Amino acid sequence: MNGRALHFYLAGINNQNFLMRDEETGTWWQQITGKAIYGPLQGAALELVLSDELTFGEWRAESPAGEVLAPIAKYTKEYDPNWEPDVAKLPVVISFPGTELKSRDVVIGLTINGTARAYPWETFARQSPVLDHVNGTPLLLALGPDGKSFRVFVSRIDGRDAEFFLQTNSSQDAKDEMKDWTLLDTFTNSQWNFQGCATSGPAQGKCLDRVPALKDYWFDWRNYHPDTTVYKH
Amino acid sequence: MSAFLANQKTARKTARVHTSLWLWILFSGCAFATVTLFFIPAFIIRPFRYQAPRALLLAMGLHQRAPLGTLITGAACFFLAFALWKTVGRWRKALIVFALLIVTFSAVMAHQNYFEWMFHPIADPRFLAQSESKLGSKEMILAVRLGSDARAYPISQMAYHHILNDVVAGVPIAVTY
Repeated sequence: MNGRALHFYLAGINNQNFLMRDEETGTWWQQITGKAIYGPLQGAALELVLSDELTFGEWRAESPAGEVLAPIAKYTKEYDPNWEPDVAKLPVVISFPGTELKSRDVVIGLTINGTARAYPWETFARQSPVLDHVNGTPLLLALGPDGKSFRVFVSRIDGRDAEFFLQTNSSQDAKDEMKDWTLLDTFTNSQWNFQGCATSGPAQGKCLDRVPALKDYWFDWRNYHPDTTVYKH
Repeated sequence: MSAFLANQKTARKTARVHTSLWLWILFSGCAFATVTLFFIPAFIIRPFRYQAPRALLLAMGLHQRAPLGTLITGAACFFLAFALWKTVGRWRKALIVFALLIVTFSAVMAHQNYFEWMFHPIADPRFLAQSESKLGSKEMILAVRLGSDARAYPISQMAYHHILNDVVAGVPIAVTY
């Protein structure tokens, strides 16, 4: 923040989205928005760093020189290998009856110039790759070759909108599936990998712009994005 | 002469009773303030409960002031208790001791971050080369790439600790889950 590094610690909970404070100024920040909601820096916002939710396998293949956070020996026993179904069982304190989704439905949430949209995970996973427009921006949402990782891109090649579809290759066996996961675009007819880069064809070497997106529970996304629309198809 | 002395005695006694009444009021006020500074934010910001926006603002406001506030009001409690001590009987002494215990507890708690007792922040994150990691290939991670530096934060770990301060490619980041 303004050239000063801040260090954050957990300070509380706001309707199941946590609050953190920084050691330097004591300001309170909301986790999901990165905004300072109380204290000396109130009104400021942290810059969002692009991040991915991937399987370790996918990331390992993409990042040979990558480093992994080591487990802390003292707490290894506390780590819950079953965190996803376990968290889903916890009660919720806010709900939005009348909206088309249930509180614990998982969505991919994204915002384009202030316009928010949620993509129900199940619909997305069934239809991937999903093509959509939000606020005039053409989007490509892709489920990874592992069926769990996801990424969102601006589906525009050299300033022109493009459509993508999955190239299926049924002759390959399951083991090669990861290697052969390929998207084709209708504009240049190039092949694209899950990192959003063209691996062959006229667009080879080009990469699509990334769009930050958050995998979240519906109640949490809806709470912080009251005007969000929901993708339907 | 003796009637005059008796009057003086009663007057002094009345004055003492007045002083002691004021001390009691102040003592109760201090004790109440100390306890409030800790318990109201703790009560509002408790997990699995709805936090209304105004209640949350109140909680943050009190919590922000609690460390210094409880120190001042807590110290005042002890000072007043000391002043009251010799003027009261056994039962009131017990009451004073009980109040001081709650006051001390509140003041100590106002200086603790009990959220970190539950989730144990990672003070000194260490990293493994990806080949040394024992993670299964289907396990989910949060990935960040800045410049040529790529880091993976296993979600099973982040879902427990919730927050991690890290520096990637010289950029200070807070990883949250």
